[in-house]
Amino acid sequence: MNEKIAVLMGGRSLEREVSLRSGERVFRALEQLGYRPLALDVTPELVDTLRRERPDAVYIALHGKFGEDGTVQEALEFLKVPYTGPGVTASALAWDKSLSKRLFAEAGVPTPAWVTFTADAFKEMGAASALDLVPAAVGGFPVVVKPTKQGSALGLAKVDSAEALPEALLSALSFGDAAIVEKWVDGVELAVSVLDGPDGPEVLPAVEMVAKSGLFDFTAMYTRGETEYYCPARLAPEVASEVARLARECHTLLGCRDVSRVDMVVDGGGRPWVLEVNTSPGMTETSLLPMAATSAGTEFHLLVDRLVRSALTRRE
Amino acid sequence: MGTARVVFDRWDGRYAAAMADVRSSAVRDLFAAASRPDVISLSGGMPDVRRVPHALVEKAVRDALRHDGASALQYGSSEGRFALREIIVGLMGETGVRLSEDDLVVTSGAQQGLDLLAKVFIDPGDTVICEGPTYVGALQAFSVYRPIVECIETDEHGMRVDLLEETLRRVGPRGAKFIYTIPNFQNPAGVTLSAERRRRLLELSREYDIPVIEDDPYGRLRYEGGHVLPLRALDPEVIYLGTFSKIFAPGLRLGWLAAPRPILAKVLLAKQGADLCGSSFAQAVAERYMTGTAWRRVLADLTRTYGERRDAMLAALEEHLPADVAWTHPEGGFFVWVTLPAHLDTKPLLAEAVERGVTFVPGGDFFPAGMGSNCLRLAFCYEEPAQIAEGVRRIAEVLEDKLALYRAFVEAGAMPASPRADRSEG
Repeated sequence: MNEKIAVLMGGRSLEREVSLRSGERVFRALEQLGYRPLALDVTPELVDTLRRERPDAVYIALHGKFGEDGTVQEALEFLKVPYTGPGVTASALAWDKSLSKRLFAEAGVPTPAWVTFTADAFKEMGAASALDLVPAAVGGFPVVVKPTKQGSALGLAKVDSAEALPEALLSALSFGDAAIVEKWVDGVELAVSVLDGPDGPEVLPAVEMVAKSGLFDFTAMYTRGETEYYCPARLAPEVASEVARLARECHTLLGCRDVSRVDMVVDGGGRPWVLEVNTSPGMTETSLLPMAATSAGTEFHLLVDRLVRSALTRRE
Repeated sequence: MGTARVVFDRWDGRYAAAMADVRSSAVRDLFAAASRPDVISLSGGMPDVRRVPHALVEKAVRDALRHDGASALQYGSSEGRFALREIIVGLMGETGVRLSEDDLVVTSGAQQGLDLLAKVFIDPGDTVICEGPTYVGALQAFSVYRPIVECIETDEHGMRVDLLEETLRRVGPRGAKFIYTIPNFQNPAGVTLSAERRRRLLELSREYDIPVIEDDPYGRLRYEGGHVLPLRALDPEVIYLGTFSKIFAPGLRLGWLAAPRPILAKVLLAKQGADLCGSSFAQAVAERYMTGTAWRRVLADLTRTYGERRDAMLAALEEHLPADVAWTHPEGGFFVWVTLPAHLDTKPLLAEAVERGVTFVPGGDFFPAGMGSNCLRLAFCYEEPAQIAEGVRRIAEVLEDKLALYRAFVEAGAMPASPRADRSEG
């Protein structure tokens, strides 16, 4: 077992720092496991380096644009290098929150009511004059406004009133071409990780996040002490099993492979709602997938091993 | 051959806690990616040393070695060479400041002065007051000593002293360790503190017994308007930071710090711990370079050049930027500060700008946290006028896309039109 594994990290996305932290941890784990790891940044030399080094597989520790949206996956398909995590289609679907929510709704997976606005709809079609319809469409305030394609909750804002909605949209649209306005569900925030196993997708214990600020945003996510975690989440058994069922369904619905992390919120009545699916979950010290795996008895390096082995089975 | 390999920091986890807050920003990583030759840099505040004649510098180096060789190659006094301090006293005299050679020390750039002052004054949790926005290097120097930074908003006349007074009333007498200001052609805002506000700032400093640090790197680079007396000329208790970086060259790393003598004594102790003494050689070279009148002609040429570049930038901004964007009109220095309507975030726009071959610095970098996200800084000091015009045109393209969105909201009555005020969000 001394396959050469390239760990892709960094990149030019806004989540670069986080990705470097994920990547370094994965690199250390691979070393410990006896693989020959190779740490690679996304630079104009990346493809050249991959062709020269010929790794047996690639571990994608990239987050955000290019790493999580299918771009790097497409390039690796072309280079015929197997890689960890979901393929091109699942990555692209999960990355676009508007598309994935549409798929959830069509399949009967509960997801909070939402509307999507593209920057073009505002610029070319005068959509701003229809903002008064938003409260009725999503069931009133508060709402969450976020870019459709952006990780780590960047550009995300909770909005309590109609007056604050346009500015939140403007902020969210600074980060991309489209934004969604979604009904705020008050309740318990969960991250539910799914790993593919020999008997199909296996759901890890849910992680419950309690942000001190009340909003699980970028700061809460990556600052120690800003969020309290409970794993397994403090849920009634029947709620926990419904959460697990939904996580598995979402993983399958989007066509995910190896791993995914489904973010949900359980409302006051014990009903879970699916918010989004992440196909390249964080692997930092405060990240949720490793936390869930540890709680299920899988140490970090074994989690990494499992993902890499899965990728290696896809070698041609 | 290039490679995409990443090298890790194997000492991570062993650094002092104070370094945890001092991290290189994602923005700087992005600039590293923007080193393509076709990228127009409107981000860095680099003096155009290409216009400093090498023959003059060579002569200064030769003279320094010929006449001062023994002392120029030896350790020197911590205060700096006396002859250079004499020259500094003369330079300060020209701007209206009277002081003696014993009222100042030579530092390794004004940046060392900032670090030494932070070391001398700041305990963790102390309050310091600065302008918002302010010089990134000052925030960086201060942050190692872990202060609470209070920012005072600026407008076209510099720091809003009315808001300063509010803050001082809140923190009380001696409630902050110092008030840091860049009164001339401020970095990044490009604005100059008016004579009236200078007097008020000093009154408040006396009233609340909080010293003022006057950082004046650009004071001699004025392209229009009349000279405004430095704060130090009005009050000898003001701590003053000067530099040779803009009147000679930053490569020599020479600046100075003038302060009341008790403060100077502490600064000297701190400096001895930092580097014993500055570079005798660089000081000896500067002595020779600053003797005679040739340097004045070089400075006049630089000033004229920067002035032309400023005019090119202001003309390009006028031509390409629409009415919902505001910018400052610097009378000197290196920078223009651009303010977009509130809620438009310039940070995600930088990547797009780099793709189009131009760089700027997002406004948020010039505040301790969470402010200025709708602003950006443009530097006109280094590129030629034609490049500046093209760079501004490219930036306007990047902005236009988001501005169209903002206008759609305003036209639909969904949000009020942003007043064309050059202030930051926050």
